[in-house]
Amino acid sequence: MSDTSTAQAPEAASPEPPAKLRSWTPTTPALRSRALATAVEGILYLVIVMAVAVVEYFVAGPIGDFGLSNWWIGFVIMAIWQGWHWAGAQTPIGSYIDHYFADSAGAPACFWCIATRQLTRFGFLYALPILAFSTNIVMMFVLFAVAGLIIHFTPDGRAPWDLFAGTHLTESLAIERSVALAEITKPADFRLGRQRVAENNRARRIMLLAGLSSVFISVLIVWNIFSEAWEFVAADEFEWSLLTDIGWFPRRNKFDLATLFVGTLWITGIAILVAGPIGLGVAIYLSEYARPKVRTIVKPMIETLASIPSVVLGFFAIAFISPDILKRFGGLFGIDFGIFSLLSAGIGVGILSVPIVASIAEDAMRAVPRELREASYGLGARKATTALRVVFPAALSGISAALIVAISRAIGETMVVFIAAGGSGGAIFESNPSEPGQTITAAMASLGAGTDSVAGSGIAFQSLYFLGALLFIMTLILNVFSDAIVRRFRQVY
Amino acid sequence: MSSLEVNNPKVSMSDQLPSSPVSETPPTAGDKPETVFTVRDLNVYYGDFRAVVDVGLEVYEREITAFIGPSGCGKSTVLRCFNRMNDLIDIARVEGQLLFHDIDLYHPDVDPVAVRRRIGMVFHKPNPFPKSIFDNVAFGPKIAGMGGDLDEIVETSLKGAGLWDEVKDRLDKSALGLSGGQQQRLCIARAIAVQPDVLLMDEPCSALDPIATGTIEELMREMKSQYTIVIVTHNMQQAARVSDRTAFFTAEADEATGQRRGKLVEYDDTGLIFSNPNDERTEAYITGRFG
Amino acid sequence: MTALSPDRPGKTRLPLTLESLKRQRSKDGFGQVFQGLLLFSVAIAFAMVATVLITVLIDSSEVLRGQFWDFLTNKSSSDPAKAGVAQGIRGSLIIAGIVTLVAFPVGIGAAIYLEEYAADTPLTRLIEVTVRNLAGVPSIVYGLLGLAVFVQGLGGITGGSSVISAGLTLAILVLPIIIITASESIRAIPSSLREGAYGLGATQWEVIRTQVLPAAMPGILTGAVLSIARALGEAAPLLVIGAAAFYSTGFQGQLDQMQGAFTALPMNVATFAKLPADVWAGHAAAASVVVLVLVFSINLVAIIARARLTKKLGR
Repeated sequence: MSDTSTAQAPEAASPEPPAKLRSWTPTTPALRSRALATAVEGILYLVIVMAVAVVEYFVAGPIGDFGLSNWWIGFVIMAIWQGWHWAGAQTPIGSYIDHYFADSAGAPACFWCIATRQLTRFGFLYALPILAFSTNIVMMFVLFAVAGLIIHFTPDGRAPWDLFAGTHLTESLAIERSVALAEITKPADFRLGRQRVAENNRARRIMLLAGLSSVFISVLIVWNIFSEAWEFVAADEFEWSLLTDIGWFPRRNKFDLATLFVGTLWITGIAILVAGPIGLGVAIYLSEYARPKVRTIVKPMIETLASIPSVVLGFFAIAFISPDILKRFGGLFGIDFGIFSLLSAGIGVGILSVPIVASIAEDAMRAVPRELREASYGLGARKATTALRVVFPAALSGISAALIVAISRAIGETMVVFIAAGGSGGAIFESNPSEPGQTITAAMASLGAGTDSVAGSGIAFQSLYFLGALLFIMTLILNVFSDAIVRRFRQVY
Repeated sequence: MSSLEVNNPKVSMSDQLPSSPVSETPPTAGDKPETVFTVRDLNVYYGDFRAVVDVGLEVYEREITAFIGPSGCGKSTVLRCFNRMNDLIDIARVEGQLLFHDIDLYHPDVDPVAVRRRIGMVFHKPNPFPKSIFDNVAFGPKIAGMGGDLDEIVETSLKGAGLWDEVKDRLDKSALGLSGGQQQRLCIARAIAVQPDVLLMDEPCSALDPIATGTIEELMREMKSQYTIVIVTHNMQQAARVSDRTAFFTAEADEATGQRRGKLVEYDDTGLIFSNPNDERTEAYITGRFG
Repeated sequence: MTALSPDRPGKTRLPLTLESLKRQRSKDGFGQVFQGLLLFSVAIAFAMVATVLITVLIDSSEVLRGQFWDFLTNKSSSDPAKAGVAQGIRGSLIIAGIVTLVAFPVGIGAAIYLEEYAADTPLTRLIEVTVRNLAGVPSIVYGLLGLAVFVQGLGGITGGSSVISAGLTLAILVLPIIIITASESIRAIPSSLREGAYGLGATQWEVIRTQVLPAAMPGILTGAVLSIARALGEAAPLLVIGAAAFYSTGFQGQLDQMQGAFTALPMNVATFAKLPADVWAGHAAAASVVVLVLVFSINLVAIIARARLTKKLGR
């Protein structure tokens, strides 16, 4: 059991050496260099902290204004420290560094920094804490180094100092990587190297943190938007009748929601009328008809359309759709179109939605199993029949999800409407799509574009959040709905 | 104590007697070989479903032990308990005793990763990493932090898997360019590069053609002098050809639930199992009446 | 049944003649019309792409031909002859940098957590649901978030309506997209690869670092790079957090500039497009061309990077 590397030489000469017992040698750098590096790292932190404290004392005086708060400086140190060790786990050079620098000092240094700053800030024996603090740290390192030494020279890598086990320091100072297989006499010999365990756990924690970021963002969005929206509703100037007042003039406290909803409805309806048939046509063509060669042309074309920014389509709506299409053909029906109209913006949003419908619907139809098509062909059905009566119904849930997602996008689309629908800061109720109109998003953009001037002026600013909350709820419902549909459809196959 | 050079275990190992002890008991030549695995009352659950029922057997050192049986009889599941691969399945749970040289592999102190380092595994489908041949073999030694010359380790391992002559000129080429049989031998080389004590093979030839299968079987017979091998196969001829001992598993419907659960029927010398089985179910299987 | 039945009585056995097995192209009128409709919709989609690009190019030709370098290097101005998009280009590039620095690591990390670590717990399901829903939240709502958190909440650090706020807001905007695409490419890695590495005694992190991530990298990077293109095209959140239409820079340090007023290319397009068209349409089109060139070249980079990485993996 207490078989160590030191015992290796005499035993090797013994007449019948058991094959399974192999030597156990650490490959980690000498403890001396590790301890030295640890000390250097600690001193580095120490110097930073002291420099900060001293400079602040001379710049701002004992009770001066220190600018950035202590917590931010602590945060930055923590971040640097974590970043350091993240790199340690990630890159070859980082792992080299991590190998030589034991985990230490970073976190304590951060808190010491905050404590020191607090003390110096109020001029309370400002020099003393710095000194006390530095001696503390040095003492800590001496203690840890001694502990590490004892751990290192204890036969099987463990010592009474196992008391420390679990701390970062022992994890990294204790020997972690063995060259070959050690003797196995008890379950504990099947333990993994501590550094590998530590690295594994650290990676897991970091990834969990990243995963939680999305929840955090969601909470932020909901909290911010709804609290501000509540301020709008709870404001003194606010009355529910304002929401049905005539027209949308936020600066004059007229918040008629119907004005915006009509605009949004028109835009969404027109967009779906444009994107639905074309998107579905492209989807059916791609999944059922297109030969591979044709696919390599059509697919990038759809992707190109998807990557055109919406501002560009907004410009396209006023530069081409309105003058060259609507004005020209509107004249035939006796309708007079201006540059700005809900119809023009709706078509622009529709173009934007084509790739969304096409790609989601195509994915849904391609997910329909081959056997289903072959069964249909086997019965003598033709291609069109198979596509329409077998594949389309089988993919129906996915296709409807595609349309719902497109609707949700159209409701949330801002820039095309902002540029081409012709709404400005205010709008009167308008139900004719050939006229300019205002949507929820465009109203928000108009308010936002003048945020600085709106910020102080009554509840107009909060109405921005009120609209945001409405928009959030609407799209959330649609997304959850389409998500549920897609999930059900996945279970079928 | 250790006569075994770290980088070249083969030399000394092949000179060893088949019975080389790990425990304190002195070896006695001619006796039954040393026990590597002792399995007692092993039950494996997937969620509430008991997939393997009360398996008990012993695996001996420097022997090839074959697990045969119809599909769904739990032989792979049992094999995957030996290096705790079942831990990777969230809902899998193992009950019973599984000793590796007197050490409980499911003891709380035991880290499954450290277990897999000593008990290598070859999978039913060749699964080389999408890297070069060299990197494939060097992967294990690298993550285990093994010292020594990587080139040498790779060469020894590839020689051990009988692949060296075929690939020595293209070690830096992608492993995915190899044929199926070569890929599987590469996976074997990869597994022995970390110098494991035991090699588990989960239907290693199921995805290979007869010629490649023959090569792998030949390789297994050669490796027997150095490794304890446990192989799962549903090819009875293969078990008869290569193995020293054979365990026959079967799947039986549970009276209460009607679910099919794996059971160990018979475990004995391969010769006995195939010539004179005790259990009629074994006889029915090996004579081809079911399965 | 109209499509299926007319030429297919089915009740009596058809007489087996050569005629009955011959191609009956002319009779499948419905199929032809249907295919024609499909081709028509593909053609319209083509026409949409082409008209957008051609319109933008034609409208911009005057500005781009007459004052190409001036347009790229001049600041915004109320004089059409002097107005340019230099500030927009600078803003967009910084935004792209911030998005890369913030959204890449967090997004890829979250995807790794969801696909490799997370067991099927309520927390995991909560994260997955929120990610999917975040991807569907309209971009302007992210603008509100940026306004409340980065412009007002952390104004002391970001400097209010600054390029830092914009970059962070857009990083949050593309985060769910990166998480989803990265998750998909990680999920596509066969489990045999993981088992192979586990079988050799690798820890979970070693399996992820040495096997899963390299194999999934082409997909992850493509998604991430495409999300940058998305961030570069977004204008609505910038509008809300207060990107400036015009601003002038005095003698400022680098940090002050980062914390000061900013604009971005899509904001330039929107600003020009909102001005009287007879004078400014050319500028709007020219700015659109710059945005499109930037976005398309980023997409191209993604395609090339993917091809390279896939080749390197030997597949």
